[in-house]
This record gives sequence, C-alpha cells and structure tokens, in this order.
Amino acid sequence: MAEVLAEGFNVFDTAKSPSGTVKYLASPADVISLIQSGKLAEHILLVRGGTTTFLAPALSMGAIGVITMSGAPESHLGILSREFQTPCVMTAHLTGSESRYVVGNTDESHFEEIARSLDGRKVRLDCTDHEVGRVVAEN
Amino acid sequence: MTTMENKRSTYQQRYEAADDGLRFQDLTYTGNFVGLEPVTDGIKGDKMMRSRAKSGVLERVSKDDVLRDQFTIDELNDLNNYLAWNIWDVLVMRATEGVSGMIPRQEYEILAFMHEFYRWPEILRMTTDEAGGPQGVMDIGASARREIGTKVNAVHDWCIGAVGFGMGRCGLLALEVIGPDDYIEESNEILKFMQRILWGKRQDGYILNSQDRYRCRIHEPDFLATLTAQVEPLEAGSPKHGAFTQFNAAAELLSFLDHYDCRLGLGDTGPYELPDGNLLILRDLFVNEEVFHWSDVCEDAGLPHAYTLAIVIDPEKMALAEIRVNDISTTFTRPKNYIDAIVGGAVFSREKWNTPMGQVNHIAIDELDDHLERVRAATFKLYSKTARMCRRDLIWNGQYVYYVDMILPHMRLAGAYEKACRDYDLWEIDQRVANYYYDITKRGFAQETVPSKIFSGAGYLPFSDNADRRRSKYRWL
Repeated sequence: MAEVLAEGFNVFDTAKSPSGTVKYLASPADVISLIQSGKLAEHILLVRGGTTTFLAPALSMGAIGVITMSGAPESHLGILSREFQTPCVMTAHLTGSESRYVVGNTDESHFEEIARSLDGRKVRLDCTDHEVGRVVAEN
Repeated sequence: MTTMENKRSTYQQRYEAADDGLRFQDLTYTGNFVGLEPVTDGIKGDKMMRSRAKSGVLERVSKDDVLRDQFTIDELNDLNNYLAWNIWDVLVMRATEGVSGMIPRQEYEILAFMHEFYRWPEILRMTTDEAGGPQGVMDIGASARREIGTKVNAVHDWCIGAVGFGMGRCGLLALEVIGPDDYIEESNEILKFMQRILWGKRQDGYILNSQDRYRCRIHEPDFLATLTAQVEPLEAGSPKHGAFTQFNAAAELLSFLDHYDCRLGLGDTGPYELPDGNLLILRDLFVNEEVFHWSDVCEDAGLPHAYTLAIVIDPEKMALAEIRVNDISTTFTRPKNYIDAIVGGAVFSREKWNTPMGQVNHIAIDELDDHLERVRAATFKLYSKTARMCRRDLIWNGQYVYYVDMILPHMRLAGAYEKACRDYDLWEIDQRVANYYYDITKRGFAQETVPSKIFSGAGYLPFSDNADRRRSKYRWL
C-alpha cells in the first residue's frame, strides 16, 4: 500500500492519476520561470491559495496536476481545474500532522510545513474518490 | 465516468415541488435568524428563507409591483435577508481560497463594496432616467433574452443588489461608519434597479435563479434554435472533444484574469432541455473588456469582446443528480465532472459589446486552434504584465473591475456610460473610500472581519421596523 502523504478536497473524480515531482510555487516569478524552463509537465504544482490567476499560464500551458493549501472545488481554481480536467487536490493537509487550514486563522507555520514536506517529493495524485483527493508517495 | 454505468439520471426530480434538492455542502446558515433552525444550501435553503419572509417580495411578483417606486421596510428586510443567504449559498465555499499570491482580492473587493454603496445610487438613478424610466430599465433586462455575449447576465444583475447593497452596506456597518437606518432611500434605489433588470430578464415573476431551483432559462426558443442549429456532435476522448473543452477552459481562464480573478468575465444560462433529452448550457466568456487598460494585450492578440459556447450535456451519461446554474452565472453539477458528458458544442464570437446579433460569428470547432493560441498568448502576456504591477495598482484596478463593470452593461444600454464618466466622475475614487484604503489592512479588516460578517450572515443588520424610507445619512457623529 503506497503511503498517502496528504489529503484534501477532490475537485472532480477522475481516473487520471498524474505523477511527478512536487514543485512549490511561491510567487508569480516562480510560475513564469517554470513555464520558461519547458519542464511544466514534469511537476505536480503546489500552491498556497485557491485562486486561479496565480496559476493562470501554468493551467493554460498544460499543468498535469495541482495541490493547494486552501480553497474548495467552488473556488475559482477548482472551477478551472475541472474545466481543464487537471486533477486537483484542494486544502491539502499532511496526514502525519494535526495542523489544519482554518479560514482567516491559520498560522504561517501550517503552510511552511506542507511546502517543506512535499516540495521535491515524487508523488501521484489519486482523485478517484468523490470527495477526498490524495497525494500518494512514489518511489 | 466508468462509475456511472447502469445508473440513471435523477436531476428532473429536483424540479418536483416537494423535492428539497441535494446538499452541496455540510455548512449551515443563520444570518439574522438566531435561535431558529439553521438554513441549508440549495433548494431547501431557498424554501426556508422564503418561509421566513414577512412580505411577498420573494415570491413571483407582478410588473406593477416592479414598477412601484420603492420597497416597504418589510420588503427591504426580506431582500436583505434573502440576498445574505444567497451570497452565503454561492460563495461560502469559494471564500476558503485564501490569499491569491497574485492579486489582493479581498482588499479590492471590500473597497469596491463600500464605493458602490456610496456612489451607485445617484448613478443608477441617472441611468434609470436615461433609459426612459423604470420600464426602460426592465427593457434593458429583457434585451438579454435575444442576445449572447451580453454582460446583462445573472452575475452582473445579481451584483447590483447582492454586492452594491448587501456587501457594501455590510462592510460599512462593520467599519462602523454607518448605522442600520442610514441610507434607506439609497438602498431602495439600488434594489429597485436590480429588481427591474432581473424581472425584465426572467419574465417569470422571479428575480433570482435560486428561486427557480437554480435555473436561468431566459432565452427565447426561436433565438435558441438559431444557436443549437450550429451544434456539432462531440465524442469524449476524440480530438474534437478535446479541442472544444480545452478552448472552453483556456478562454474561461483568460476571462477570469482579464476581470482580476472574479466571475464578471463569465456568464452561464440554462439548463435548457433539448428535444432529445440533452441539456444545453450557454456560456459567455468575456476575454477582452475594452474599458480596462490592461486588456490591451487581449486587443493586440486580436481577441473579440466575448466568445459564447453552446455546451450540450447528456444527463444520462453522467447520471446527473442535480444541476445548478447559480446566481453568479456558474454551473455546478452532481456528480461534479460534466466534461466527459459533453456530447455537442458550438462556438460563437462577438467582436464588440454592441456588435449586432446578426453579425455574431460562428467558429467551427476544427478552426479553434488559432483562437486557442491567441487566448494562450494573451494569458501569458497579461500574467506577465500583472505580475509587474505594484500592490496599490492591483488593488485599485481590481476595485474598478467591481465598481465599474458590475453596472457597465446597464449603463451602456441606457446610453448613460459616457454621462457617468463625464458628469458623475465615475472613474474617480470617492475620498471616503480612498481613506478606507489605509484602514482595511488594520486588525485583519479585509482578510478576516468583513469576510466573516459577509459569509456568516451576521453583518447584514436589518432596517428598523419604523424606519423612515426617505432617510439618507444626515449626521456624522
């Protein structure tokens, strides 16, 4: 049984199960840099917010999978990932941590812990469940 | 989609009078009804809110009702409560999305809410005059029944009351610069304008999609027939299906970006039941709004004002259990993924906001590649441009998207936009709101205080039963 590193809202159920190295994107400059590197398709993108503009060019150019630390399927990024059919796990929390995202009341350490734990890991997204999306470790 | 095999659609049960619909979320709403049973989302929530109304304003109303000059205090309070629930219903889950990392949306939103509440009343009064009176405003709403690529749509029309009145008043109450009985006459002005536009558009006596089990079936049948005649069959997994759905997604994304990450860039109507049992959603995607100076990159890419997609969904293929076209023009389904159930599509483009319907272009799906490339190029350029803007510019640009664009289509059709710019300083920032810029980041006002009051419903204080409807704000104490 593969290790589930994180779980969150599954935006839409799909048999697609993209795998890649998690890339934490902290700023628009990171997004532009990734696109210009030509390596967009190698990465599962990890972002803090659930808004869509931050990831706009990455979604448009063919991002294969997205993990967010806030937001829900009704958020703009949720709507757009559904339209692009890009598997997306939103408001992901680490399965090995008690820390959870609470709107307007979440310490920076919550986001830092997720970024630190997932960035650079080789993972696969499991989005087959109606409600729960999973970030699964790959060797 | 494999899990849906052998299941039948049940969505038509949602239209039976006794049906309460599905729950799309576990949260419940209280608002001004402390001590009563919490209100759910969806069809059941609509029923609960209407059952608590003191007036008949939330039921089907007549043309004479709509033409009346003012709402009573009971009607104002019923609308205030219903809009507050409706805002919660459509936005409470979206509002969990946190910071953008790109555009300070909470900050620009709260400034726009307050600006609208202060400035819109006299602009909407002037727009009503320019339209020839209340009937003219209803005619502007009705124009949407025979058009595509028009911003006279659910989200814009809803925003007049839900945002300009509801959230604007809520924000100013939270900032403690107004009291519950201030600006009653102005509140009436905003809400009457909203009611007239929406009633004229729907023409079934309701004003909101949530009152009609989340349907926005506004287009005339003969007009719809001219669009559905262009629909091409699509098969999930085929290149053509991929071209259509990828274009839909890319154009929708640019519409969001051009409108600063808000839903004013897109508008769904439907679901329309087709003779073969399939469902049609009409989706306007406004990829190039000429009044925004940053939209020059969209102009340079040769993009039209709007693309319109006719999206045909087979409800059996996805075992559709419920479909909602909500009041912010967005379609949600259960099951959530409708893309593989798209079995037909057509694309149209409207060059300018006032291009006559007879000159709207049909684009064959095989010819979408060129449009997709232009949409992608504009998206990247607009993103790069936006990434270089300072925080202040991002906030005020976003503020303009709300404050101007929400009433722009109505002003345009009334012939009032130029007058609003010239004689009413539309694009100026009111000094009160300019000063709030420095207040909203203190004590988490934009990030926590206002969102919590807006989305819990706790901030929509009622007007007093005996309040004077003529009341503005006369005392600053």
